Amino acid sequence: MERYWQIEKTNLKYHIPLHFLVCVFLLGISPFLMGVENLSAADTAKVLERYVALLGIVMMVPVFLPEQDRAVQELVYAKYTKGAAVYLVRLLGNVLILAAFLGIYIFVLRSNNCEFPVVKYYFGTFAGMLFFGALGLFFYGMTDNLVIGYMASIVYYIMAVGGGNKYLKMFYPFSMSMERYGEKLWLFAGAAVLTAGGMYFRCRRK
Amino acid sequence: MFIQLFIKECRQTAKSLIYWLIVLVLIFDYASQLGSTEIMPEPKKGQKEYGYKQSEDKNIIMKMTLGQLLEEYYRENYSTYPIGFYKNVTLDEKEDERIGEIIEETTGISGRAAAEKAVSDWYAGQERTGGENGGMMIMRNMEAEPAAGLTYERFEELMDEADDILGGGSSYGESCRGGNASVPMTYEDAMEEYRELTVKDHLTGGYARLFSDYMVVFLGILPVFLAVTRGLRDKRAGMQELIYTRRCSSAVIILSRYLAMLVMLVVPVLVISVLPLSHCLKYASAAGIQADAFAYVKYTFGWLLPTIMIVTSVGMVLTELTDTALAVLVQGAWWFVSVFAGVGSLSGGMYGWNLVPRHNTELNWSVYHENFTQLAANRILYAVLAVILAVFTAFIYSQRRKGRYRFTWKGIGRSKKQI
Repeated sequence: MERYWQIEKTNLKYHIPLHFLVCVFLLGISPFLMGVENLSAADTAKVLERYVALLGIVMMVPVFLPEQDRAVQELVYAKYTKGAAVYLVRLLGNVLILAAFLGIYIFVLRSNNCEFPVVKYYFGTFAGMLFFGALGLFFYGMTDNLVIGYMASIVYYIMAVGGGNKYLKMFYPFSMSMERYGEKLWLFAGAAVLTAGGMYFRCRRK
Repeated sequence: MFIQLFIKECRQTAKSLIYWLIVLVLIFDYASQLGSTEIMPEPKKGQKEYGYKQSEDKNIIMKMTLGQLLEEYYRENYSTYPIGFYKNVTLDEKEDERIGEIIEETTGISGRAAAEKAVSDWYAGQERTGGENGGMMIMRNMEAEPAAGLTYERFEELMDEADDILGGGSSYGESCRGGNASVPMTYEDAMEEYRELTVKDHLTGGYARLFSDYMVVFLGILPVFLAVTRGLRDKRAGMQELIYTRRCSSAVIILSRYLAMLVMLVVPVLVISVLPLSHCLKYASAAGIQADAFAYVKYTFGWLLPTIMIVTSVGMVLTELTDTALAVLVQGAWWFVSVFAGVGSLSGGMYGWNLVPRHNTELNWSVYHENFTQLAANRILYAVLAVILAVFTAFIYSQRRKGRYRFTWKGIGRSKKQI
C-alpha cells in the first residue's frame, strides 16, 4: 500500500499540479461566462454537461504523459511494480480529484438556489466526465500520441454540440438537459471499457 | 532551399496519422451537416408559410424590446446569454437605478411600481382579449409604447448601455434587438430573398457561405492538433539537436513548415467543396441561374483560411515556447468561447471579432453584404496576427538553436524566487 501511496504522491507533486490549476481556473471563471445562480434543472444540466464535464479531458487524458519520454517509460517498466499498476494508481487519483471538483461545484450550484436533483446530476455529470476522459485515454494509449487523445475527446464533444443526438444515440453526453438519464449508464459502461482498452494498448507497447 | 523544405514538410504531413484523422473529421462534418442539403426552390404563391424574418419596422423593434426590458426590470431579474449559456443577472442598486432611468426616458414609465402596473395591465388585457375571443389563449410577449419624441438612434444608444450594464449577451444588445421583433414573411418577401440568392449571390455564393459556416466550427480547433504534433515530433524523435546544427535559417525552417501545414489543411477543404459546388452548378444550369463557379474557392480563402492560419500559429508558437501540448488547452478554451458566443448570431451579420464567424443560412445576402466590412476587418486581423505569431515562432526557434532559450517549469520557479 505504501508503494502505491508513493506513486500517487509523485503524481500529485510533479504531474498533476498544472492540470489541477487548469481545472481550478476553468471552474473559477465559470460565473463570468454563464449563470450559476437560480438556474432551472435544464439550465443546470446544460452547465454541468457542457462545461464542467470537460474537466474529464483535462485530468484523465494525460495519465500516460510522464512516460511519453521513452527513457522514463523503460525505467518505469524495469521496476518491480508493474506499469499498469502505476497508471491505475494515477488514474484513480485523478478520478478522485475530478469527483471532488464536481462535488464542490454542485454544492456551490445548490447553495446558489439552482433547482435540480443533486445525486442524479452528480452521477450524470460524472459519467460524462469519465467518458470524455476515457475516450482520450483510449486513443492516447492506442496511438501513443497525447495530441490524438485530446483530439478524440474534443471532436466527440464538438460532434455532440452540433446535433450529435442523432448520431451518438445512447452515447449522447448531453441527455440530462433533455430530461433523459438512460444514456448516463451507457456512458459509465463506455468509460470503463475505453479505460480498460487504453490501459491494455499502453501496457502492450513496450 | 525554402521550396525543398516546403515539399518535404508537405510529405511529412501527408504521412502523419493526425492529418488523416483531421481529413476524416472534415469529411464527417460535411456529410453530417451538409450532405443532404437541398437547393432552395423558388417560393410559390399560396404556400402555407414562407418562414419568418426580422422586422425592419423600427417602431415594432422598439415596442418589443422595451416591453421585455420593462418586464425584466419589474421582476428584478435579467436573462442573458454571454457565451450561449443562460445567465441570470441581478443588478446592484446603482445599476438598477440606471436601468430605471433608461426605462423612464424610453417609455415614460417611472419606478418599479409603475412598471408593475404596466406589466399586470398588459397581461390582464391579454387575458381579457383571449376570453372575449373564446378560443385558445396565446399570450403575446410584453410590449411597451416608446415615449413621445424618442428617436431610434437614442433608443439604440440606451439599449447598448443597458446591454453593457447587464454584462452583454442580453436581448437589448445590437445583435439581438432585431430578433425581438420577428414577423412572418409574405410571398413578396420570400421572392425577394430568393432573387438575392440566385441573382446577387449567384446561388453558389449563399451555399459557399453555409459551407464555410459549418467548416469554420471544426477549423477553429483542428489545425492546432496538427501544429502541436508537428512541433513535438522533432523532440520525441530526438532530432531537435540534429536539425539545430543544419545550415538552414530558422525562418526558412519554421515558415516552410507553417506554409506546408496551411496548404495541406486547405487542400481537403477545397476537395470537399467540389461536392456541393457540383450540386449547385447542376441545379443552376437546369434553372437557368448564372452561378459563380469560383465561389467556394473565394470563401475558402477569404473566410476559412484566416481561421486556419491563426489556429495553426497559436499551436506552433505555444509548442515552441513550452515544448508541451499546452496549445491544445488554450485553443480549446478560445474555441469554446468563440463558438458559444456565436450562438446568438447564427443568421449572420454580427461577425464582430469572433474567431469563428457564423452565417448559418444560404440566405440573408443583404445582411452579409451590409456587414462585409466588419467581416473583412475580422479576417484581415486574424491573418495578420497569424503571420506575426509565425514570425515570433521562428524567433523563438532561433533562440533555442543558439541555446539562449530553454523552457522548464523549474526555470519559471527559479526566476520567480529571484524576483
